[in-house]
Amino acid sequence: MATDVDIAEAQLSHKRWLTAPALLCITLFGMVPLITVMSYSLMQPSEYGGVVPKFSPDAYISLLFQRDVFDDALTFSPDYLIIFARTVAFGAATTLLCLLIGFPTAYFMATRSPDTRNRWVLLITIPFWSNLLVRTIAIMFIIRDEGLINMIMLSLDLINAPVGIIFTDFAIVLGLIYSFLPFMILPIYAALEKVDFRLAEAGFDLYASRFQVLWRIIIPLAMPGIITGCVLVFIPTFGAYVTPLLLGGGRHMMIGDLIALQFGSSRNWPLGSAFATVLMGFVLLALYIQARKAMGVSHG
Amino acid sequence: MTEFQSSATSGSAVDMLGIVKDFDTFRAVDDVTLKIQPNEFFTLLGPSGCGKTTLLRLMAGFETPTTGSILLGTKDISRLPPNHRPINTVFQSYALFPHMTVAENIGFGLKMLGRSRSEIKVTVDEMLRLVRLEGRGDSLVTRLSGGQQQRVALARGLAPRPQILLLDEPLSALDLKLRQSMQIELKRLQAETGITFVFVTHDQEEALTMSDRIAVMNAGKVLQVGSSRDIYEHPADRFVAGFIGETNFLQGDLEAVDGMSGTVRLKNGVRVSAGLSEEAPRHGAITIVIRPEHIEITDVGAAGSIAATVATVVYFGTDTHIHTHLADGTPVIIRQQNRRDGSRAPQTNALIGLVLPLGASQVLRD
Repeated sequence: MATDVDIAEAQLSHKRWLTAPALLCITLFGMVPLITVMSYSLMQPSEYGGVVPKFSPDAYISLLFQRDVFDDALTFSPDYLIIFARTVAFGAATTLLCLLIGFPTAYFMATRSPDTRNRWVLLITIPFWSNLLVRTIAIMFIIRDEGLINMIMLSLDLINAPVGIIFTDFAIVLGLIYSFLPFMILPIYAALEKVDFRLAEAGFDLYASRFQVLWRIIIPLAMPGIITGCVLVFIPTFGAYVTPLLLGGGRHMMIGDLIALQFGSSRNWPLGSAFATVLMGFVLLALYIQARKAMGVSHG
Repeated sequence: MTEFQSSATSGSAVDMLGIVKDFDTFRAVDDVTLKIQPNEFFTLLGPSGCGKTTLLRLMAGFETPTTGSILLGTKDISRLPPNHRPINTVFQSYALFPHMTVAENIGFGLKMLGRSRSEIKVTVDEMLRLVRLEGRGDSLVTRLSGGQQQRVALARGLAPRPQILLLDEPLSALDLKLRQSMQIELKRLQAETGITFVFVTHDQEEALTMSDRIAVMNAGKVLQVGSSRDIYEHPADRFVAGFIGETNFLQGDLEAVDGMSGTVRLKNGVRVSAGLSEEAPRHGAITIVIRPEHIEITDVGAAGSIAATVATVVYFGTDTHIHTHLADGTPVIIRQQNRRDGSRAPQTNALIGLVLPLGASQVLRD
């Protein structure tokens, strides 16, 4: 026994160098930029973009306060907070709606015969075959005032004048749902596919109604997939940039647009870095909660 | 316990009237009429694909009959969904809820029936005692052994005090030792609870040892219903005779009929008396069936005996199987209990006489 373990360990250490490319990639393209962003957030902005390597907490202060141009007095300014709150709200709404649409879809897929299931998975992944930008612009063509939806409703005399859908919060959430729905469907489908549906039969036999079978048996067993799906939708909405820009018309910024603005025309790299750092902290917190919930689920 | 008895004595049995179940073009159950008595341990026995599980699923409500009706007591339940039938199932795969503890599994049915928390607790404790799993209520079902999971599945099915408990080959996943002890356990549970058990199996030995009555099924039809002894000693047709235990078939002509027995002239001219069931033919060429342990060995040429040549003698410990063949080549197996002196076993190639005792053989239905 002891020799077996020794041999296994020796083989393991012998092959440890195989992880080197991955570690190099993570360090070079993950850790280094991360540390750069975090340190930029504590420096002063340079006039033409970039940073001056002098310590300054200003970026973080200006997340919540505005410095008066004349007397340097700090006054509370909720502008950025509102954008941040909007981002969280859009993310939560997108996640919830994706769950409401995604769960029945995944359930439908998982209850098909094994051969047809793969066909459904393929159909779900079709949107990934084309670029997100192209797909978002396509949505614009559908929901704009002269777009498909308004044309149909006008020709059916349902409305007299085009309904303004594009450049609204609704349009943004619609775009986000469209972009992220597969990330909700696929993990839930993967979890449901493993569920033994004979358990549903057992529940039905033990006086549970259809709803109770769903609520007390199917959903708890699919919970790991549901949590993964929610994380995979909620977190990327924080980085959404193209969708709110195109469908919201830039009027309703999300935090991704704000960060892009700081590194672009505003030339305030420290502020952009501070946004990015706070956002990352928020995402880590969300992941931590998810991990704890997932552990709670697997341990009953 | 009192509630068990009250539900059992209320006279609710299952009546299956002309049940037909088609799956597309396949007829799984073909015109089955069965009457299951209250407090009975009833077994549906047959090879896989004979329709026994479909019949069980029809009783549970997972399938609805194409034609025919199922009565529970006097109430037609054919079209009620499973959650509206006072019938529970123990599944072949157990189908325990993996995200719940033992106690939560057992209490699930009662919870869905809207019983109070305290009542559920009392019943769950009682069930844990009944299936000898005291103190395991808080364990996760995934941590239990196969035999323990089996008992949780039983307790879960019994806890809501159903009028009928359906058991779908519940012992097939257990090893031989455990299966034998569970057979006794099941008999005990059925006797203690007084609930009607409907048991599905393809294992004839399991069926014989446990059941009050057995229905033998093949190709969607019920071929014979009767007690273990009935089915074994008086099989109605060739399938039942062949499916249950080892058996011998002999060809002959029915010469005379006298009530429930007849005189059969076997091919080699020997006349034997054989039992006649109501469905058995009354004249012409027939087949009789006789169990290997019912044949007696005597000297060749003795009056009323059939001459046979011993082909092989196989020693089985408690008994010896003697494979012989008659003059026309018909194989006949005889099973003899072993005596201490071992002197009675014939030798290979010896010529012996076979005697079919009165009432031991049976004329088969066509």
